[in-house]
Amino acid sequence: MRINGLGYLMKEGIKNIWNNRTMSFASVGVLISCLLLTGAAVLFSYNIDSAMKTLEGNNSVRVYMTQDLPTLSAIKVGEEIKKLDNIEACEFVPKDDAIQQYMDILGDKDGTMLQGMTGKENPLPDAFKVSFKDLSKYKETAAQIQKISGVASINDYSDVAQKLTNLDRMITMVGFWIILLLSLVSLFIISNTIRVTMFSRRVEISIMKSVGATNWFIRVPFIVEGMIIGILSGLISSLILLLLYDKMITSITSIMMFSPVDIQPLAWSITLAFILAGMLFGAVGGVISISKYLKKEGGEIVGW
Amino acid sequence: MIEFQNVSKTYSNGTKALKDVNLKVDKGEFVFIVGSSGAGKSTFLKLIMCEEKASEGEITVNGRRLSTLRKRDVPYMRRTMGIVFQDFRLIDNMTVFDNVAFAMHIVGATNREIHKRVPYILSLVDLQNKAMCHPAELSGGEQQRVGLARALINNPKLIIADEPTGNIDPALSFEIVDLLNEINRRGTTILMVTHEHSLVKHFHRRVVEIHGGSIVADTALQKEARHED
Repeated sequence: MRINGLGYLMKEGIKNIWNNRTMSFASVGVLISCLLLTGAAVLFSYNIDSAMKTLEGNNSVRVYMTQDLPTLSAIKVGEEIKKLDNIEACEFVPKDDAIQQYMDILGDKDGTMLQGMTGKENPLPDAFKVSFKDLSKYKETAAQIQKISGVASINDYSDVAQKLTNLDRMITMVGFWIILLLSLVSLFIISNTIRVTMFSRRVEISIMKSVGATNWFIRVPFIVEGMIIGILSGLISSLILLLLYDKMITSITSIMMFSPVDIQPLAWSITLAFILAGMLFGAVGGVISISKYLKKEGGEIVGW
Repeated sequence: MIEFQNVSKTYSNGTKALKDVNLKVDKGEFVFIVGSSGAGKSTFLKLIMCEEKASEGEITVNGRRLSTLRKRDVPYMRRTMGIVFQDFRLIDNMTVFDNVAFAMHIVGATNREIHKRVPYILSLVDLQNKAMCHPAELSGGEQQRVGLARALINNPKLIIADEPTGNIDPALSFEIVDLLNEINRRGTTILMVTHEHSLVKHFHRRVVEIHGGSIVADTALQKEARHED
C-alpha cells in the first residue's frame, strides 16, 4: 500500500469516529470505566502492599545479651547478627540508654524512682534492636541468632510475624484476582462494544469488498479508529484517576494514621500505561471483531 | 471474456442452484440474463464475482480461471469488473463524490488522479451538480447513476448489473439501460440481470434465460441455428 493510500485510510478512520459519534462516545465511556476500575484496583493493592511493608519495617525484635557481658563483646555479637542473611537493620541499645528510656516513659526526669539503678547497678542487659527483611522467615532467623554465644534471649514475635505474613500473602492474592477479573470484564465489554459497531457498519464492509478492497484496506480505518478511541480514553481516565487519588490522599491522611503512597512522581508513567493499554485494547478489539466479517463474502456479510 | 464450462453449483444445504451450465460471452457483448426468482441468476452472478466457488466445471473471467484463483487475489480480480446492485449499495455518510472516489482509493490512485477522473465520470452520468450531496438527498434513479459511476470509475472491462432497474421508476429504467448501452458502445462488456420484459424487448440484445438452474434459451444460439437453416 502506498503512503498516499495510508494517509487516506488514516483520514477515513478519524472521519469514522465523527460519523459514528454515538458509538464512539459509548466506546470511550466503556473504555474509561474499565481503565478506571482496573487502575483503582491496582492502586489499592499497591497501597495495601506499601502499608504492609511499613508495618513490617516498624516491627523490630529485641535481642538481649547475657547479664554482665562486656560491652565490647556485645558489639561483636552485633557484628555476627548483621552477617546473617535476613537482617535488614541491627541497632545496638546499651543498657544505659535502655534505663534512660524507661525513665522517660515513667516521667522520672530527675531519676528519683529508678535511683540506684543507673551505672553499675543497672539491672538491664545490653540489647540489639533487630529488624528482618522477610518476616516469613522469622523462625529460622531467630534460631540462628539464639545460637550466637552471648545472646541470652530474643523476645518471641513469631505469632505477629505469622499473622503479618499471612495477611500479606492474602492481600497479594486477592489483589491479583481482582485485577485479573476486572481486566477480563473490561475485555469482554470492549469486544462487545466493537462488535455492535461492526454490526452497524457491515453494509459498508460488504460494499468495500464488492468493489475490490483488500482486507487490509478495510481493516486499517477500524484499527486507527480503535486506537484513537483508546488514546482518548487512556488520557481521560488517567486524568480522572490522578485527580481522584489526589483528593483521596488529602482526606485519608487527615482522618487516618495511615499515609497513602504518593503517585505524583508516577503520574506520567500511569498516563502512558493507560494510553498504551487503551490503544492496545482498541486496536486488538478492532482486528478481532472485524475478522468475522472479513471471512465472509458479499451479501453473506449483511445477511442478504 | 466470460466462459462457463459444465458449471454446477450445489450449496452446502443441498440446493442445486446451477446444473451443467455452458455459456460464452465475448468481449464487447451486451447480454440480458432473465428468469424467474430462484432460477439461479444470483448464483450465476455470485460465481462470476468470486463470492461463491463452482462445485463442478470451470469458469474463466477476463482470461483468469476462477478455480485456480487464490483467496488473496480475489480483490484484484474484482477490480477488473464494475458491479451495479439493485439496492445501489452506496455508503450513506459519504457524499456522491466520495462514494465514487473511494473505489479509486482502493486501487491506490493519487488524489490528483481522483480529482481529475471523478468529476468526468459524474458528468457522464449527468450528476456533476450533485457531487456534494449525500445518497439520501437523491432520487432512486440518481442513486443508481452514482452506483453506475462507481462501477465505471476504474475503467473495467466488464460491468455486471444485478437488476439495476429493480428499485427505480419504470420511466427512469430506460435511462439507466440507455447509459449501459452507451458504455457498451465504447467497448465494455455488459451482463445485466433483469425481470423487466419491456426493457429486454426494447433494446434488442442477446438474451439468456435461466430456469431451474439451467440455461433454457439463448438468442445467440437461436440466431446461429437460424443461420444454419
